[in-house]
Amino acid sequence: MTGVAPPGANGTLIAGAALSKHFGGIAAVDGVDFSVAAGDLIGLIGPNGSGKTTLINVLTGHLSPEAGEVVVRGRRMTGRPAHELAALGIARTFQLTQLFGRMTVLENLLVPGLTRPHSTRQSAARQARTYLTFLNLGHLEGLEAKNLSGGQQKLLELGRALMLEPSVLFLDEPFAGVHPRLRDELIKRIQELHAAGRTFVVVDHDMESILRIARRLVVMARGRKIADGPPAAVRTDQTVLAAYSGL
Amino acid sequence: MRGLPAALLVAAGALLLGYGHLMNSYWMHIVIIAMFYAILTASWSMLAGYAGLFSLGHIAFASVGGYTSALLVQWSGIPVPAGMAVGAIVCCLLGGWIGLVCLRLSGPYLAIFTLAFSEIVRITVSTEDQVTRGMTGLHTVPLFQTSSRLPYFYMAFGLLVGSLALMGFLVHSRWGLFLRAIREDEQAAAASGVAVARFRILVFAIASGFAGLAGSFFAHYTPVLTPDIGDLDRMALIVVMTVIGGMERIPTAVGGAIGVEFLQEYLRAFGIWRLEIFGIVLLVTMRFARNGLLTPLWQQFMRLGEARHAKASATLADRPGTANAANGSGG
Repeated sequence: MTGVAPPGANGTLIAGAALSKHFGGIAAVDGVDFSVAAGDLIGLIGPNGSGKTTLINVLTGHLSPEAGEVVVRGRRMTGRPAHELAALGIARTFQLTQLFGRMTVLENLLVPGLTRPHSTRQSAARQARTYLTFLNLGHLEGLEAKNLSGGQQKLLELGRALMLEPSVLFLDEPFAGVHPRLRDELIKRIQELHAAGRTFVVVDHDMESILRIARRLVVMARGRKIADGPPAAVRTDQTVLAAYSGL
Repeated sequence: MRGLPAALLVAAGALLLGYGHLMNSYWMHIVIIAMFYAILTASWSMLAGYAGLFSLGHIAFASVGGYTSALLVQWSGIPVPAGMAVGAIVCCLLGGWIGLVCLRLSGPYLAIFTLAFSEIVRITVSTEDQVTRGMTGLHTVPLFQTSSRLPYFYMAFGLLVGSLALMGFLVHSRWGLFLRAIREDEQAAAASGVAVARFRILVFAIASGFAGLAGSFFAHYTPVLTPDIGDLDRMALIVVMTVIGGMERIPTAVGGAIGVEFLQEYLRAFGIWRLEIFGIVLLVTMRFARNGLLTPLWQQFMRLGEARHAKASATLADRPGTANAANGSGG
């Protein structure tokens, strides 16, 4: 599982500068700077409604920011559609799993596989089967995705993102509603992929899981970034504690 | 497609071609009309069944294609096939434009938008008397200078086979996979690298082109072209045919068109009640066989070769001393 795209000149794979996005007068993201360097494993945390998912949506091209810039490996990509960012190696999963329900498990992986330049059905199927085996889903390849369990669906969504051979993977609440055994498996897979050179940004409320894997924590509250640093430092940050306790 | 089902389909096609001339003029007309509808249902299935774009404006493209070709041939004197090609191309471009305009619409909003487009086309064609001859009807140049329906039968057959081959190639290519992904979840498709907007426009253009081709053939088959070609009743019939057959597969949509067209004729003795019968069939389909009545049959048909192959393997494996060889060859 190789093919990770090379980073930009200063090692930054994707960066958002002064990003802002409002919904009905409410600032979901308010002047946020966020950058991801090659090899990062970032935990993006914050209370409900703090703007984490909106930030991911803006960075991955699913929403256009009202202000600020998104730069991917030196290329200005602000407001560009999601498929263009995917082509540059920016992959994501969704808060509520979004699979191609009436397509088979294998077909779910073939879709991103076949969007890659010079891919053939044979090469994409070979790569898909490798990931399905890695994610313990190999025996389910002919099953319609809607028939998988919640945890298996999360794994399949991760597999679909991996098919893009991404330089950065944004995982939006990958542990939500997942059985503890499958959650441990998911964490193990993320750690293995990170060790193999993948870069991750993981959003979740499950602090225990996040702290098990994150090398850097970014905390958001009310649309703003309130902390960014090593987990040990962020955990004792008074602003973070205040945000979490609602003070 | 596997060997045996493909061979059976080719044999059925060859039989139809070989013995087509034995049909009387009435039934030949029914077969020609069934093939006209088959192109429309197959292309609508690509749009609604594969891409999930429930357009109710499909019949309007048949109308536009028909009138474009008929008027062009009349005004400029170009050969009918050239007129038909222009009709299809115009519909392709217009379909692409409609796809672009309603890029952000889906579900009932898309249905209402395309319905309105269809009505605009129908009313325009009806009221522009000086150009289209309105409800009086436009006398069209026939495709063949003969009173026999046989050349039209061969032409319709050729157009249907050609259209199905092209559509089949498209839906089995990576484009087909992308269209199904768009149908399932546009956001997830975009996150997977699929250019959603481009493919939505493309499928609108292609499906509309085929509808235009069917319409332009119809225009030069029927001696008088009226705005009825773009009637909403006809669109409803296309939906009924496709849904009853199975909208998520082109062959089942084609089967639905042929089946319903023939049933309509067989049930003529029931007068207006035959429409009630179709209503009941539609209700039963939606309640008990949402994938269409023909989908299970088609799936069985496609497994014909597999079953025979499995049987042969099993027989081979049952023979003493051949089990390992069979396992080895079965992979």
